[in-house]
Amino acid sequence: MTAPFPTPKPDEAQRLLTPEELEAALRDIGARRYHNLHPFHRLLHDGKLNKDQVRAWALNRYYYQAMIPVKDAAILARMEDASLRRVWRQRIVDHDGDAPGDGGIERWLKLAEGVGFARDYVESTDGILSATRFSVDAYVHFVKERSLLEAIASSLTEMFSPTIISERVAGMLKNYDFITKDTLAYFDKRLTQAPRDAEFAIEYVKRHATTPEKQRQAMAALTFKCNVLWTQLDALYHAYVAPGMIPPDAWTPGTGLVPEPARAAGTGTIGAQDVPRLPRGVRLRHDAVRDQHVLLAPERTFDLDANAVAVLELVDGTRTVRDIARALGEKFTADPAVIEADILVMLNDLATKRVLER
Amino acid sequence: MNAITPNAPVLPAPVGLLAELTHRCPLRCPYCSNPLELDRRSGELDTATWQRVLTEAAALGVLHVHLSGGEPTARNDIVEITQTCAKLGLYSNLITSGVGGALAKLDALYDVGLDHVQLSVQGVDAANAEKIGGLKNAQPQKFAFAERVTQLGLPLTLNSVIHRGNIHEVEGFIDLAVKLGAKRLEVAHTQYYGWAYVNRAALMPNKAEVDRSIRIVEAARERLKGQLVIDLVVPDYYAKYPKACAGGWGRKLMNVTPQGKVLPCHAAETIPNLEFWYVSEHSLADIWAHSPAFTAYRGTDWMKEPCRSCDRREKDWGGCRCQALALAGDAAATDPACSLSPLHAKVRDLAVEEAAEIPPDYVYRTIGSNVQPNVRTPLNEEAPL
Repeated sequence: MTAPFPTPKPDEAQRLLTPEELEAALRDIGARRYHNLHPFHRLLHDGKLNKDQVRAWALNRYYYQAMIPVKDAAILARMEDASLRRVWRQRIVDHDGDAPGDGGIERWLKLAEGVGFARDYVESTDGILSATRFSVDAYVHFVKERSLLEAIASSLTEMFSPTIISERVAGMLKNYDFITKDTLAYFDKRLTQAPRDAEFAIEYVKRHATTPEKQRQAMAALTFKCNVLWTQLDALYHAYVAPGMIPPDAWTPGTGLVPEPARAAGTGTIGAQDVPRLPRGVRLRHDAVRDQHVLLAPERTFDLDANAVAVLELVDGTRTVRDIARALGEKFTADPAVIEADILVMLNDLATKRVLER
Repeated sequence: MNAITPNAPVLPAPVGLLAELTHRCPLRCPYCSNPLELDRRSGELDTATWQRVLTEAAALGVLHVHLSGGEPTARNDIVEITQTCAKLGLYSNLITSGVGGALAKLDALYDVGLDHVQLSVQGVDAANAEKIGGLKNAQPQKFAFAERVTQLGLPLTLNSVIHRGNIHEVEGFIDLAVKLGAKRLEVAHTQYYGWAYVNRAALMPNKAEVDRSIRIVEAARERLKGQLVIDLVVPDYYAKYPKACAGGWGRKLMNVTPQGKVLPCHAAETIPNLEFWYVSEHSLADIWAHSPAFTAYRGTDWMKEPCRSCDRREKDWGGCRCQALALAGDAAATDPACSLSPLHAKVRDLAVEEAAEIPPDYVYRTIGSNVQPNVRTPLNEEAPL
């Protein structure tokens, strides 16, 4: 069979780069081709994706995570030097963990569960896009078939990952109310693991890419790996963002999920789209004797300031929190987004005290 | 002393009225907060008088009315009285045992605008609960009542008075509150006045049990956040500082007995030589401002040391006057529940000692009992226990 990957052509003219020049050249590849630049990631981090689009990403990306130890085991199998293997095997431990319930794959499953998937469905990889499978499998084949130098060089995308992880965690926590810090625990670990791994790999590549040809091979390997990542996002974008062409057999929204437990009436967190109301037994009243507004509730009375009264007067069982924020924004000529954030805190505090429901 | 002088700070208006509509009750709980000498039906205020009292209360600044007893639904006019609250804008809170005629009147109470129901539960296990309450077949009646409360959409609070006979059931009370759809649960350790004082040795839990119950409540609060609010009243005898009894004497609450006697707290009658005024002779506003019983321990002028110079004196207002009388023999003493009281160590020892003994049988609450209020001698610093 013909090698599916373009091999760099011998270029007699190319001179040998210094190790520093080589590192700069490799970093330049990342600066231009790493998948943090992909439109899908921009949408993901800026909160522009809907929940199902985030789910599609988590589901497909699981296959990549699950195959990483397979890829690293293949590289490990080719290392004849025990000191190299000792370092490399840490990657497998990081991903697989030392025991069930531990490790990077498990943390990714937690992420997938955090966005609503059933664990079994994710592990089956039945719903992933073919493009995801082809890309990831190509990566595994690549490290088996190419030189050890190329295999190690292909892992150098980790040099760029701390940036994307910081952007991703901050952006997702800020923009998606269904994402929690716990859900994103995977990335916490990677923030320390990736630089450690990348440092080892770049030093190896700098030391072993001792001819112009080997240097070209290392750069081509990193380019290839960037394409493995980029292609997966192309496919996600095509299927789930625009034009929205989901291939046959790929995951469709609504499937593979754990049925959401019906939230008990009245309980739970109040979001911007919820319609808050004062339940029976909670009344907003003007107290003429003390000339102030109070919220009367079971066995307690809340003294209200003018702001709280303005909010609660609009809590009528028909307006959403966003409607209320908009109305207050007009009344006080203030930014409704700021008001919304403030009143969500207040309304959720009252909900926790069981004097406000939705 | 006179708290109402031209230079005195403005007297705050009361926020709550505890309306003890009747002392009649199908239950006979041995920790009942009613006095040992219970009012009889023949002496109870009539409907019109209660309605006048409520009107005066609203004008005075009362916001919450606690319709209590005894069992308030034992009164035939409970619906009319509740309706009056609603018309006056008063927040009506029905404090009920849920047995007897309670369920039959519930829909009508809902229709006239009842705001909230507080249902007592004596235990989780039916046999235990019915032993404590002294009434067979009470538990199923309570559950049926609770079910109807939540069906109607009324907010439900469960009240569990905790003592050594049910302290092992604290987890069960929490589960029960969730199961019955309550929004609030009161885990209230017994306060030792009235009938509870008589039954103290039968009721006092040990420190380890108390600590365990507090841990359980704290864990459940976290677990059930947003679903169930749990209020915890810790037992005085094991506390560091006393509670501000009734929010401070004559500061927040008025208590009207079935006969129309107005008290600063429900146990105030245990203090001898206090002069109480009746709603039949004085307006509520007059009583609040001038009744000798209300002015006696209002504010801080009456305090002795260590309260007088204590920086907590306007936080807990010296604790409970009735407990000070019962334990120290002086209603103006520091509540011995306070760790700053010279008697505090003795109170704690007493609790430890009583909790370690085999509990005596309950003395059940009964109208016309001959139980004497002063069955115990107050502690003093020198005398051995």
